[in-house]
Amino acid sequence: MASTTPSGNDRKFTFGGLVLDVFTVAYFAFALFPIIWIFLLSLKSQDQLFTTYFAFTPTLEPYKAVLGLSSATESVPFMRYFLNSLIASFGAVFISLLVGVPAAYAFARFKFRGSNDMLFTLLSFRFAPELMVIIPVYVIYQKLHLFDTHLGLIWVFQLITLPLIVWILRSYFQDLTPELEQSALLDGYTRTQAFIKVVLPLVKPGLAAAALLAFIFAWNSFIFPFILTGSNAQTVTVGALAFMGGAKPRYNLTAAASIISLIPPMVLALSIQRYLVRGLTFGAVKG
Amino acid sequence: MATLALTGIRKEYGKVIALQDLSLDIKDGEFFVLLGPSGAGKTTTLKVVAGLEEPTLGTVSINGRDMANVEPQARRVAMAFENYALYPQETVYDNISFPLRSKRYYRDPAEAKSLIDKVTITLGINHLLQRLPRELSGGQKQRVALARVLVRPADVLLLDEPLSHLDAKLRAAMRAELKSLGELQSTTSLYVTHDYLEALALGDRIAVLREGALVQVGTREDLWHRPIDTFVALAFGQPRINLISGAVTGGTFRHNGGDLAMALPNHDIADGTEIQIGLRPRDLVLGAQDGMPQINGRVWVIEPIGRQREVTVDIGGDTHVAVVTPDQDTAIDSLVTVSCPPSRVLVFDAATGKRIPARNEGWAPIADVPAGEVARG
Repeated sequence: MASTTPSGNDRKFTFGGLVLDVFTVAYFAFALFPIIWIFLLSLKSQDQLFTTYFAFTPTLEPYKAVLGLSSATESVPFMRYFLNSLIASFGAVFISLLVGVPAAYAFARFKFRGSNDMLFTLLSFRFAPELMVIIPVYVIYQKLHLFDTHLGLIWVFQLITLPLIVWILRSYFQDLTPELEQSALLDGYTRTQAFIKVVLPLVKPGLAAAALLAFIFAWNSFIFPFILTGSNAQTVTVGALAFMGGAKPRYNLTAAASIISLIPPMVLALSIQRYLVRGLTFGAVKG
Repeated sequence: MATLALTGIRKEYGKVIALQDLSLDIKDGEFFVLLGPSGAGKTTTLKVVAGLEEPTLGTVSINGRDMANVEPQARRVAMAFENYALYPQETVYDNISFPLRSKRYYRDPAEAKSLIDKVTITLGINHLLQRLPRELSGGQKQRVALARVLVRPADVLLLDEPLSHLDAKLRAAMRAELKSLGELQSTTSLYVTHDYLEALALGDRIAVLREGALVQVGTREDLWHRPIDTFVALAFGQPRINLISGAVTGGTFRHNGGDLAMALPNHDIADGTEIQIGLRPRDLVLGAQDGMPQINGRVWVIEPIGRQREVTVDIGGDTHVAVVTPDQDTAIDSLVTVSCPPSRVLVFDAATGKRIPARNEGWAPIADVPAGEVARG
């Protein structure tokens, strides 16, 4: 029956296919298990925290506590950390786009003195461990009064977001034939107009991908906010840990905080998903 | 309406010299063709004129005005790129109207529409206006690129191989059409191609480029009948011109290793000079003809080309001579005699490749062979 319907699964059963399927399932279990574990942890009450693995009475108390909705007074202002994270991450991505898009375009189109060195320097921000620079940055921030401020965080996040955006977008710009802009120039537009009207719409998928990645990296950054913020500008990554301190570590609250802080990157990823599809450039030029 | 002059243009990309000492003087309204193999610097020349590439040395002037510090968008130059450079996110209509929406060439939408309709109907792409470039065939894209150039006012049109991606039939039709387009007739145009038929058919004058240097500039008659060297002679004509190497003794050419001897009464050549004689396959006749020098040989290959045949004759000394003939009887391996009209013999210096002109060349009546060539294509 299945073999006669065109919509049926025509794939031949093979041993290799089976092995692949088993591995896929195993990988998913491996990759998803920590998330499931954390999710379950976030539904446990304080009493059952250490007594049980899977059999427990689910409760939303940890979420209420984290969000400051429970009657018990909560010493950790998690919602403020959440807002701090949003401000710092969006701010960092915004500044990086502002600076990085023109920079990436220049790197892609023009050969100028020191261009390779500058590109490499940007890349080195990514592969040098953050711990290497954190002490001097801490001292500088103290002197400049940038310690524990949103501006300071946005600034230091440029080490994370700017290289990503420049490197990703540079390759997108390079893929576009320069003749598109040249044609626009001859059609009576200035270079800036040509860039905005012709080039920018074509790198929209790259823009979306780079901005999303940069946002996620900034959002998940731990070391910088850990060292460079106090109570004022602290972010969720550091804030979630606050629940673990003290005489009675409340892992369930940390878990709930983690789950909550998953939301913005996920919402962002899902909402710009359609821009992540490449293919607009297809058919631009022959070939 | 403009004249275009290039003076001593040199363009280097690092160590590579793309153009050297290129000077051209293009008259107002002239249709000027740049012909050359790939890598000859044709596209670079167009980009230098457009201001998209800065020449290392030399000046470009349009209407007598030095363009050195004039931005590309201010040069009133339109260019059709070889890779079309259509804006992928815009429809065909928006692509063509793109220049008309700029500040510099602005037309109100109604006027733009009538201009676009006119040019797209001429080019036969009127039914494609709402499509995106990726939904077009190569030939259609090329015509859209051409429409975008023709729709706007320009002093100089730069056309980079605008017919190269069309199929043979459409290309022949478009070649004829291009000639009849008013915009192209009246606007100074610089047209780049590697197809000698296009050059002969379209060019008021033709410049042949090789490795970034100008080899010869002239009318189609100049280039066909008076090529400056073997490179130009080989660039025009299919099958290519036959070149036979030999030496001159007592005013007579003797083919190296073959038994061909041909008197060259109209040329003054010192004894012992190594030369090549050039014979166009289309000028040669199978069979002995009165008063014509003759070459004997054996038929090597026969290729039918339409109503005619291309017969390759082995004349000894590792040399083959192609003849285009209506003759249908000759068979492979048969012994044949090839005759050639003496006025059509081109003589080249073997050492330099330069042509040695005949004494009376200035007055020799010359039939319009290229027109016949074009009709064939």
